Amino acid sequence: MEIIKESKFENFDSKKSAGIVKTQYFNFGEPPDEMLLESGAKLGPITLAYETYGTLNSNRSNAILVFHALSGDAHAAGFNSKTDKKPGWWDNMIGPGKPFDTQKYYIICANVIGGCKGSTGPSSINSKTGKQYGLNFPVISIGDIISAQKKLLEYLGIETLFCVVGGSMGGMLALQWIVSYPDISKGAILIATAPSHSAQEIAFNSISRYAIITDPNWNCGDYYNGNRPETGLSIARMIGHVTYISEGAIHNKFGRNIKDGHNLTVPESNDDENKNNKHPGPADFTNEFEVGSYLKYQGEAFIKRFDANSYLYITKAIDDFDVSAGYANLADALSRVKAKCFVISFSTDWLYPAEQSLKIVKALKINGIETTYTNFDSPFGHDAFLIEDERLKKVFSGFLKSLSE
Amino acid sequence: MRKFEVLNEWVDINSKVLVLGCGNGEILKELKKEKDIRASGLDIDENKVYEAISEGLRVTQGDINKDLSDWPKKSFDFVIAHDIVQIMTRPDVIIKQMVELGGKVIISFPNFAYFMIRLNMLFSGRMPKTSVLPYEWYNTPNIHLFTIKDFKEFCRKEKITIHRESYTGAGKRKTPEKIVPNFFAEFAYFLIS
Repeated sequence: MEIIKESKFENFDSKKSAGIVKTQYFNFGEPPDEMLLESGAKLGPITLAYETYGTLNSNRSNAILVFHALSGDAHAAGFNSKTDKKPGWWDNMIGPGKPFDTQKYYIICANVIGGCKGSTGPSSINSKTGKQYGLNFPVISIGDIISAQKKLLEYLGIETLFCVVGGSMGGMLALQWIVSYPDISKGAILIATAPSHSAQEIAFNSISRYAIITDPNWNCGDYYNGNRPETGLSIARMIGHVTYISEGAIHNKFGRNIKDGHNLTVPESNDDENKNNKHPGPADFTNEFEVGSYLKYQGEAFIKRFDANSYLYITKAIDDFDVSAGYANLADALSRVKAKCFVISFSTDWLYPAEQSLKIVKALKINGIETTYTNFDSPFGHDAFLIEDERLKKVFSGFLKSLSE
Repeated sequence: MRKFEVLNEWVDINSKVLVLGCGNGEILKELKKEKDIRASGLDIDENKVYEAISEGLRVTQGDINKDLSDWPKKSFDFVIAHDIVQIMTRPDVIIKQMVELGGKVIISFPNFAYFMIRLNMLFSGRMPKTSVLPYEWYNTPNIHLFTIKDFKEFCRKEKITIHRESYTGAGKRKTPEKIVPNFFAEFAYFLIS
């Protein structure tokens, strides 16, 4: 079983891949036309990094907007260069002949504002000071993220979408989209998501943020010219990573395996010879278990590609999100929805359990909105939507087919 | 008689239809093809729901015993329960919910007073098995077996109107079960509201 699926560029096949794609940049919100955020603050100028796959048809009706999750980016499919080892984060779903078929659809994916993958975020240069924003970057919301992406659509000349789709935070963005812009999208696929975070979900994010802000290198977010809060960010990622994997998947992969050179306190063998061979020395608590070592690796890999302040801003936007805010209840909020919806949870996802998806399903049903739902059987937990799965591809294809009818 | 012929005959063209216990969507597909319905389905089995969604059908995975109250009243033109009333936890509650949910409701079920069942039980002294009730007593999902007479009595009591009825006998023939259906019909269809 593989937790992380990698497809090497050597296997690159133009018939199955979106091919070489270039990240593009859209600039807007030059002062005095800054974007007004939900908090009342203004942000501008703004850059959005985005990629597109496939071709927009003549009546501009085949566009699909893909929203990425917390640590994702605009690079959803294909390869940015021939030397890339890995394709985009949803390459198994986006490409010719794949469910989000680039021969049929025009697919757009943009990095969220507040991010660190080309779109304006806390690590971007504040034009007013000539320095990185750091904590002077305004607090952003899920609503602000989609408002910025709406501007991108206007720039691309797209008035209607065939579908919006996203998993986890991406699902929140898709859900907010069909509430905020009910007339734009024909369909919506809401994957492993929630109408708002539960206390448990906020708790994990709170620990992650605490790990970052207590790192001495964090320095109130002003660290871009010195040592970065790498320890804090890597712990945050380790916490996050555990929550994305099912209990069964992580146990099947690592079990109670001990790393080479480490011992359990109680030896497996009890014979005297073994006891005499024990070397006295200081206790060692560093990654004696393989699972710990794996998480450490995940944390260390993450600090190379992510900004700690972005992690703070984006997790806050996720925790603050409540699609029913300002409405009497969830059903009232979703009464605006016109898109046909496909809600999907995963049987082993304990971070975003089926109950949260079912709240969305119930509110859609109350409003008489045509809804498809399954608690999809997968052993992979929350991250199941990112992992190669033939059955998953078939339900996405099926739903997109039903939208064309 | 063709499979689902009665359902096909009774459901109006272009109507909004919900099929309970839709499985992999066999009925939905047939009615979409023949009557161009706006099809919705509900089923509890993940694998069947997966098959239905993969075929482009609008199905929600859920429990008939719990989830019908989510939809507002009169959400559908037709609500269909084909051959599943006998497996519901509380058929009385569900049928009443179906009547509220749909303009019209189609209920179909195996008639436990079918003469072959009566004879089977009379002579063998064991729980009857037929082509529509093929299970052993210990593995049957059918926990609420009933007869045509029972169902009509239920409708009378609950003030449910029976608009149409149709019966099939052994070999799916249409006669002579029209004469004394509770004796000759193996399977019954009712259109109620």
